[in-house]
Amino acid sequence: MRPLAVIAATLAVLIARTAVAGEHNGNVQLHGFASQGAVQTSANRFYGDSPDTSFDFTEIGLNASWRLSPQLLLAGQVLSRRAGDMSDGSPELDFALADITLSSGDTHRAGLRLGRMKNRLGLYNETRDVPFTRPSIFLPQVVYFDKVRNLVLSTDGAQLYADSYQPFGTLSATLATGLPVIDENVEAALLVGDLPGEIEHRENSWLASLWYHSPAERIKLGISGVTMALQQDWNLTPATPTVDLVYWIASAQYNGPNWTFSAEYMGLPGRWRDYAPARMDRNQTSEGYYGQLTYRLSPPLELMLRYEEGFADRDDRDGSEIQRLTLGMVPSRASASRILSLGLRWDISRQWMLRAEYQRHNGNFILSELENPDFQRFEKHWDLFAVQAAFRF
Amino acid sequence: MTLLLRPKDCPKRLDPKSLEPEHLDREPPRRHAWVLLPLLALIWLPSALAAQQVIVNPEVDVSALDRNRARLIFTMRINQWRDQQPVTVFVLPDDASLHQRFAKSALQVYPYQLRRTWDRQVFSGTGQAPLQVADEEEMIERVRQTAGAIGYISDQRAAAGVKVIEVR
Repeated sequence: MRPLAVIAATLAVLIARTAVAGEHNGNVQLHGFASQGAVQTSANRFYGDSPDTSFDFTEIGLNASWRLSPQLLLAGQVLSRRAGDMSDGSPELDFALADITLSSGDTHRAGLRLGRMKNRLGLYNETRDVPFTRPSIFLPQVVYFDKVRNLVLSTDGAQLYADSYQPFGTLSATLATGLPVIDENVEAALLVGDLPGEIEHRENSWLASLWYHSPAERIKLGISGVTMALQQDWNLTPATPTVDLVYWIASAQYNGPNWTFSAEYMGLPGRWRDYAPARMDRNQTSEGYYGQLTYRLSPPLELMLRYEEGFADRDDRDGSEIQRLTLGMVPSRASASRILSLGLRWDISRQWMLRAEYQRHNGNFILSELENPDFQRFEKHWDLFAVQAAFRF
Repeated sequence: MTLLLRPKDCPKRLDPKSLEPEHLDREPPRRHAWVLLPLLALIWLPSALAAQQVIVNPEVDVSALDRNRARLIFTMRINQWRDQQPVTVFVLPDDASLHQRFAKSALQVYPYQLRRTWDRQVFSGTGQAPLQVADEEEMIERVRQTAGAIGYISDQRAAAGVKVIEVR
């Protein structure tokens, strides 16, 4: 609750300041969003009791920024996100940072960000909970897992950034280090179930990204990644169990007048050590990729078509090995997902948006272990239908 | 402009084939086309030439911007003029046709890209959105009153009390 109190106080000060100091009008900005979704699936739980239609999908965000000078920007956001059994909607400090420009000119800008920052990973991670910035109700789950979103969501630490503006386009680079913000979803997904003790950071995470976009942003290319060193704080064995992960995404996007094509590849190599006797030592690389076309029919309407594939272990794509090793406890269908999605977006006004989405799933890799504790009940072939209404200011 | 308006199919020399009966039969419609062309031009010209003027506060010490720099300013990536004065960016609503024409022709980006860039900065805490005004009158008024301000109006409108700068 302490960070919340801090941000609430900061917001209060910012608001008071806007009201009092007329000459600062424009330097303080408040923005926000709220959304409500309904999800129905033919089988398997996703964002709540979806087989019986779930309304456990609510996003509310309040955002304030204060530009004290061209060199200094303070910004923060509080987020409440209800997502079935994965998140209960209690408000969290999504980010709170100071952005300090150290050097800027006609051809470059470089600076430092301090505080809690959203990780610059892939095309969508930074604003993944803002419905208007997503291409669909649900981000491609094989790259942006909602079951372990907190693993890669944000970092408490410091980030160096540099942008170079050239006639051939813009190059942007970031390098950051700090502590990852993790929760119980991380443990459930990484360790398949609940083990004694808590999973926590062992060392600082490191993040880096490099992006290129052409002058008018027709083409956007990027590579971004994070390394994480985690441990289990149990006292059951002499050795402390550890998990080391690298999560990286290669991204490409083309923006045309009426359509946008996006494709991304995600790799997640991991190393588990000293979890015996609860779990075996193992090295495993998960991967996922998708291709996505959004087409603006006429100004208020947009269509989305996407195909994605993801695998828990790229060397065991059909899951037969994990099924054999776990004596059937983890069925083969839990180790892969192939998803075809079709979506429609309707921007009713500047403030309101409605969305509908249909997905055909083959496999259960993307499903949350917290929402589906009994793997034996996984249905391999399933459908999802969702609608969402969103508001912003 | 007269060069542009000359129909490409208009023969400069008399083609012998045009004296053949079937071509003579086509003469009346061609004459009609000649009559229509100036009329079409009158309808076409205002919309094609209804360009935008980029305006700044009179105190801003700039007379022209290259397109790349204009784009960096309107995407909120450059927030200072060369003399270190802070930039304040004013825009019309996303669905205003002048805003859409300004984005496409002056900045050469699609309006949805501007919105996406601003949203990413606002909702990741790495930047701010431009200030939105309701219409051109308010645009002129706010740019006139705000130090370091930049905005745009249609070239049909007098830029009273603000400075027009060239984007090239």
